[in-house]
Amino acid sequence: MRDLLRILAPLVLWLASFSAIYGLHGLGCAQGWAQITLGPLTLFRSMMIVAWLFALLAQFALLGGTRTWPFGPQGGFARRTGMLTGWAAVVATLWTLQPVMTTTSCA
Amino acid sequence: MTALRRHRALDATWSSRPGFRGWFSTVNHSDLGRMFLATSFFFFLVGGILAMLIRAQLATADSAFAGPEIYSQIFTMHGTIMMFLFAIPTFEGLAIYLLPKMLGTRDLAFPRLTAYGYWCYAFGGTMLLVSLLLGIAPDGGWFMYPPLTGAIYSPGINTDFWLIGITFVEISAICAAVEFTVSILKYRAPGMSLDKMPIFAWYALVTSLMILTGFPPLILGSILLEVERAFGLPFFQADLGGDSLLWQHLFWLFGHPEVYIIFLPAAGVISTILPVMARTTLLGYGWIVASAVALAFLSFGLWVHHMFTTGIPHMGLAFFSAASTLVAVPTGVQVFAWIGTLWKGRPELHLPMLHLLGFFFTFVIGGLTGVMVAVVPFDWQAHDTAFITAHLHYVLFGGFVFPILAGIYYWLPLFTGRTRFFKLGEMAFVLIFLGFHGTFLAMHWVGLMGQRRRIDTYDVETGWSTINLISSVSSFIMAIGLAMVLVDIILHVYVALRGRRDPWKSGTLEWAMMAPPPAYNFASLPRVTSRAPLPDISGLANRLARGEGYLGNRPAVRRETLAVDISSGQPDYLVVYPGNTALPIVFAAVTGLFFLSLLIKFYWLTPLAVLGMMVLALVWVWRLGAREDSGLQEIGHGDRVPMAGETSRSPGWWGSAFLLVANGTFFGSLLFGYAFLWTVAPGWPPSQWLEPSVAETIAVIGGALVAVGAMRIAARHNRRGGRGLSSTVIALMGTLAVAAAIATMLYRMPSAGSHAYAATLFVLGSYVLFHAILCALMQANLFARIVAGYTSPHRRAEFAIVALWADYLAVIAAIGVAAAQIPGMLA
Repeated sequence: MRDLLRILAPLVLWLASFSAIYGLHGLGCAQGWAQITLGPLTLFRSMMIVAWLFALLAQFALLGGTRTWPFGPQGGFARRTGMLTGWAAVVATLWTLQPVMTTTSCA
Repeated sequence: MTALRRHRALDATWSSRPGFRGWFSTVNHSDLGRMFLATSFFFFLVGGILAMLIRAQLATADSAFAGPEIYSQIFTMHGTIMMFLFAIPTFEGLAIYLLPKMLGTRDLAFPRLTAYGYWCYAFGGTMLLVSLLLGIAPDGGWFMYPPLTGAIYSPGINTDFWLIGITFVEISAICAAVEFTVSILKYRAPGMSLDKMPIFAWYALVTSLMILTGFPPLILGSILLEVERAFGLPFFQADLGGDSLLWQHLFWLFGHPEVYIIFLPAAGVISTILPVMARTTLLGYGWIVASAVALAFLSFGLWVHHMFTTGIPHMGLAFFSAASTLVAVPTGVQVFAWIGTLWKGRPELHLPMLHLLGFFFTFVIGGLTGVMVAVVPFDWQAHDTAFITAHLHYVLFGGFVFPILAGIYYWLPLFTGRTRFFKLGEMAFVLIFLGFHGTFLAMHWVGLMGQRRRIDTYDVETGWSTINLISSVSSFIMAIGLAMVLVDIILHVYVALRGRRDPWKSGTLEWAMMAPPPAYNFASLPRVTSRAPLPDISGLANRLARGEGYLGNRPAVRRETLAVDISSGQPDYLVVYPGNTALPIVFAAVTGLFFLSLLIKFYWLTPLAVLGMMVLALVWVWRLGAREDSGLQEIGHGDRVPMAGETSRSPGWWGSAFLLVANGTFFGSLLFGYAFLWTVAPGWPPSQWLEPSVAETIAVIGGALVAVGAMRIAARHNRRGGRGLSSTVIALMGTLAVAAAIATMLYRMPSAGSHAYAATLFVLGSYVLFHAILCALMQANLFARIVAGYTSPHRRAEFAIVALWADYLAVIAAIGVAAAQIPGMLA
């Protein structure tokens, strides 16, 4: 089961962070965070960027963690496939959440 | 024992009853796989006839062929049948039939569940067909958007048929998904580690996990909409704090992964057949597995791309647009791996290969138009036009029907033991291919000219007449081609000559048996050392028939197979299956009675049906297990393993674990709905909150913790030689405390019909209460089983299963009570 978890975990994390950030987007828009300025950015964009960076950090931590606890190497196949899904999740986190930097907030 | 004697002995133990009585009591996967496939293709025929009616209607301008009411029923039922009654059940049927054979085992994990799933599908599908025959079929489109489908705008029974019938059918999909997941992970030939699994099994595993997490949002949505229609709880009514967009979220949380749930098994078929047709091995096995997993997960991040025109802010749109473009990458990796496989092999143009080429050509076009509609500005132009209809048919027909036709022709010799004689199939392929592209290429064009989907008629001045006529004529050509496939298969089944085993010289284990396969699949189980055991182990089929594999030395008096360690594939324990029984069909009939009572609003019948289901469920589980310890069992090759019931991680535990994955997704979707309405829906906050109660909160959390702790103590007592009776009773008391506290909370709540807040809270509380009652029943049953002598320090599996459900109850009770009580405290 650990082998299977190692393969699935990075993309589970991506899905969780993607959904959470989309939820945060809904919450932020509903609460009017886009109207509150925080230095050069709005509170809304600051929160979204921080959340995105956390998601990326978590992905890299998991990628590193797949070599050690709790997903330590058992079978070569699971390790290799886990690395592939790990990098896929990193790319997915970068690409699908990059709109936090580039698009309008709640319009 | 000779191979023939062994065959006769095993056949007597494993075969279903003779004659048509056998259909109703069989639990054998080969029988049920065939029944699933025959039923799903019957529905394909019905859905196809409806498609012909649609094309007849649209062939000319100002058509009077069918009025708008009937036409709405026709297109709704076409989509519904093709998605829910053909595509998913075809995957289920194929996997039920093939998986145990490919995995080198004798049956799926839960044979009675397979049968129950089939009968739920057959009864639920029949319910929908009856509505069609009576002219009261669903008519709100296959995705049933409220407010159109709410009680105000669709007051008849039509929508109820969809909501209740589809929920009934989805039980079948959930059953199959649990079944496949446990079977693939635990029921494999010894030595078949994860990296030696046939690629189809990987695809089936990924698809099953997707069904477990993709279907619950739709089941929840269907329940909420039906409850709103029947009892006036306002989940989707904007004037009472509801929001119709909640339905779209819940539906597409299911609906988009559904496309990949349909495509991935077909991709599994392609990855299996293509290397055989190319006389080589699959290129990039690990890359394909990773791509399938990535595709599955990414598909859950696309649901909003069906909602680009609903006024969602740009950033939200951009998230889903980016995810929609990204999903093309793992799809592309698979396509390139298949092209690479063709490149390194020596492709032979047999009939399955023709259909695979049809797949490549069609699916790639569908994928590219998919990238087009992933781009928001383009989608705004094409949304709800015939372009979208054409795109989805390129994806689904190209990505599912062509590979399935390839699969049918590839595995037909296994199903029948015959060799193809008539060559109708080649001509049929040409007609299907030309007919399909004539139909749907034209539909892209007319869609870009502005023809909306689902319109029942159009004016001559639109200039769409010629294109629609081309589309309609082509669709009839395609229909003739598909009819020829049917004729070809019937001729093959009844007339063709006996063929030899493994005519394609394949490497997977389904060919290492007689054709058609015997009920027990393998007289003894192989020891697998590679992904292609057949060419690697000389004379494998004959050696297995002679009993030289695992379990070859066991007396054939019980239906036995082996479960293995998930990663390594080493033998883990011995499983004894139940025999033929009518229990699944009876259970499905009573389940159907429950749904029927809701449909026709005979609510007095509902508690009787629930009671019937409870009794049958108890009979179901009571028949399992043993009253004596069996100890370690000799399985051959010098290995000894315990019985499944004498382990902590029995098949029932694994089945429960994966069922709880689906269950947890349902609960998570409900919480999502609650949060969504709270943050987005108009008319919040509600005028009245639930008065917070510290006593209720303590009773729920305290009771749940007692239940969890006491179940662990009971299991420990049992392992140490005690019976664990008193701890089980304490656990039961804890669970009943949870139930009582939640029932009190439900009683105190504001009227559920007053606002979406109260309605959602009512469903949340009911969900927790249902699980508390379920858990209490399990604990009471465990108590009775302990008293009856079904447990011992060795026979400990049941404690672990009940403990798992108690854990789940504790989690949902804690979250549920927090979601209910905290808003009132803050207010």
